[in-house]
Amino acid sequence: MAQWRGWRKALTVLAFIAPTLIGVLIFNIYPIVFNTYISFTNRNMFHPNPDCSVGMTGILEPTCWAVFHKNALKGLAQPYTLKTPLFGNYIDLLGKFFSGPVLLAVLAILVCFVPLIIAGQINKRFEKRVERPVPAWTVTLGAIILGVLIGFAVNFGAAVNLIAGSGDFFVVNFHSILYVILCIPLFFVVGLALALLLNVKDLPGRTFFRVILIVPWAASTVAIMMSLVWKFFFQDSGLFNMLLRLFSLPTKTWLNYPIYAFAIIVIANVWYSYPFFMVTILGALQSIPGELYEAAEVDGASWWQRLFSITLPLLRPAVIPAIVLSSITTFQMFGTVWAITGGNPSNGAGAPGATDLVMTYAYKQVFQTQAFARTGAFAVIMFIMLFGATLYSLRISRITKGAYD
Amino acid sequence: MKRMLFVLASILIAGSILLAACTTTTPTPAPVVPTTAGSNPAPTTAPAMPVTIQIWHQWSGAYLDAITAAFNQYMVDHPNVTIDLSKPDDVTSSLAVAIPAGQGPDIIGWANDQIGTNALKGNIAALDDYGIDMNFLQSTYEPAAVAGVVWQNKIWALPESQEAITLVYNKALVSAADFPTDPKDFAGLLDKAKAFAAANPGKFLFCNQGIAGGDAYHVAPIYFGFGVPQYVDDTGKVYFNSPEAVAAGNWIVAIKPFLSPDETGDTCKAAFLGGTVAAMWTGPWNVADFDKAGIQYGFAAMGKPFVGIKTLMITANAVSRGNAAVAVDIIKYYTSAAAQKAITLANKTIPANTAVLKDPEVQALKSLAGFGANANLGIPMSNSPFANAQWGPVGDATAAIWGGSQTPDVALAAAQTAIETAVAGMK
Repeated sequence: MAQWRGWRKALTVLAFIAPTLIGVLIFNIYPIVFNTYISFTNRNMFHPNPDCSVGMTGILEPTCWAVFHKNALKGLAQPYTLKTPLFGNYIDLLGKFFSGPVLLAVLAILVCFVPLIIAGQINKRFEKRVERPVPAWTVTLGAIILGVLIGFAVNFGAAVNLIAGSGDFFVVNFHSILYVILCIPLFFVVGLALALLLNVKDLPGRTFFRVILIVPWAASTVAIMMSLVWKFFFQDSGLFNMLLRLFSLPTKTWLNYPIYAFAIIVIANVWYSYPFFMVTILGALQSIPGELYEAAEVDGASWWQRLFSITLPLLRPAVIPAIVLSSITTFQMFGTVWAITGGNPSNGAGAPGATDLVMTYAYKQVFQTQAFARTGAFAVIMFIMLFGATLYSLRISRITKGAYD
Repeated sequence: MKRMLFVLASILIAGSILLAACTTTTPTPAPVVPTTAGSNPAPTTAPAMPVTIQIWHQWSGAYLDAITAAFNQYMVDHPNVTIDLSKPDDVTSSLAVAIPAGQGPDIIGWANDQIGTNALKGNIAALDDYGIDMNFLQSTYEPAAVAGVVWQNKIWALPESQEAITLVYNKALVSAADFPTDPKDFAGLLDKAKAFAAANPGKFLFCNQGIAGGDAYHVAPIYFGFGVPQYVDDTGKVYFNSPEAVAAGNWIVAIKPFLSPDETGDTCKAAFLGGTVAAMWTGPWNVADFDKAGIQYGFAAMGKPFVGIKTLMITANAVSRGNAAVAVDIIKYYTSAAAQKAITLANKTIPANTAVLKDPEVQALKSLAGFGANANLGIPMSNSPFANAQWGPVGDATAAIWGGSQTPDVALAAAQTAIETAVAGMK
């Protein structure tokens, strides 16, 4: 028994967790370590192969390992080496960001959001009072107006352009964040509206509509094919223009215009994703006790009052994890955007396209430009950013609270 | 204590995995393959054991039928050889993953501009070690084709055909009179396009998939036609930020209202087959489909296209699998006079094989004269790795000019910088 408590127990536990541990090491830790190492080298199309005699390269590069070495490529190119300076790829990506004007621009943008942060704090304080001196929406609206005014004062647009001009990294991140900001509220609003509709007990054909409205979600398994349908829909000779011509309305080659192209990838993503929200909200709606609505009705509450005072607050626990998960998948969006626009329309050589998001940009850098090391540095910075964002989102949603308890 | 033991054991396991991985062993030597020497090597004997040769190619549509027939004939003549043809969407990306893993093709059918980059990586093997020498090349293929497959004094591929794009027009909609007689007369082409659009509402004189689609290859006749000598030469010098290139950019802006807004590869072909556009800038690879659609077509030389060489290369895989001799035999057979004559007559290509090119039946092909006229004005496509630096920036700049997000001078200056940066990365 004493032995069981000692090394035998440790070995037994280790035997049980070893497969998982090895899996985590091979599939999670190793790629991160290898990618981080590559980000400090000059590996690209012209220095594609490793020099296995270099210590860390020999350890980390799979084609230097005995088991794979027979397939190692032996081209005419010079092997890749550590970059000089070591952080060269990071400096290329972020260098201009750490200059006075750009940091001032960041500060100017942050100042625009200060009223909203203060409004949040004020609302929190007011919530603790028995009677609110000012409604929450008034405080929020006031903060938004103040934020917009500050935005004009500090020239928000010029600040954004200055940051965008400091490197592709900021442009594609701005595109991705904007994409998330536009998509997620639309997912929620469309999903909520349809869920409320399908929650009506006497709705004729309710089961039929429930099935039909989930179809886009099922279609997301063949997302590339369906995205091509969206692309054809908005081409010059596509269905959308045919409809416009039918009503003698002016047509455009929608995908050639940056704003329209961006709107189209948002619409396509909303089409794919609203069923997830609809199903989540529908489930949550059915868990709200009917007595609450009955009591509200007795008190004379209108439909909108019931929506904002009962439905939305009680949907919160179900919707917030959905928002967090969807934000992550939307930020990482690749297939839909690639199939519809390929990151275009072009903003010229050496600049990301108008619909280039983080993933399409990274894909182009690796598979078209073959800038492996630079993209490795890009991925490391993204990893640090997303790791922080994920930790913060876990705090918001408390998804893992149960597990820790 | 237990936690310590657990951590130590975990570290030991992780360490042992790493150490096992780091163990160096002598690399397995590549199998010795039989070689034939001499200026006119005889075909290798059929392999004793069954062997499957994978070919990755870029042939498509009706164009592929005659090619498949040629490989089928090889399999009939060599019962132990199975040839597996496949066409990955993105050969560069697929190769990057497949070859180091020992997967993928023994032979790649690719344009000669890919030779330098793939030789640098080690994806392809030089043919000098497998019985192919300069005497054989020079006695079998056209001089331009020979020059296209030699890089750094080594032979990296055998040439299949020479290709250049030209304006192919539908005789049911237009005639030669609807195009300028001088291939450099782009102002004349603009006037003709205006006149055609005015006379035929909803239709367009021509389609060029390179203009809107960011395709530097298809838009090359316009830039080179305006006097740009090359995008980038073999020494890495870039020629894109020049008055000639800006003039070409301004011409693209001027002609935009008279072209179809959808100018991509698929839509150009569909519009041409459907009669919405009267002509398209294309190469021999689409001719078989035009024949199949029953279109009576003519050729109008316009601008200066890239003149590329379609080639077949053998991969590092073919060497490591011991398939190199068979692979070389297949590409010699495929580029031979016997196989290429049938393919040329069916697909209306310009063969690289001299004997086929001089054949009276081939000489009688109207496509040979049609594509040949523009090819004679064209710019040879470099096989240096620098060639790879040109495609993205030129395409992006052209798409930006077409889309209006940049003026020609700004777009071309940005492209010049992007190509120079890429070239600097190589040097």
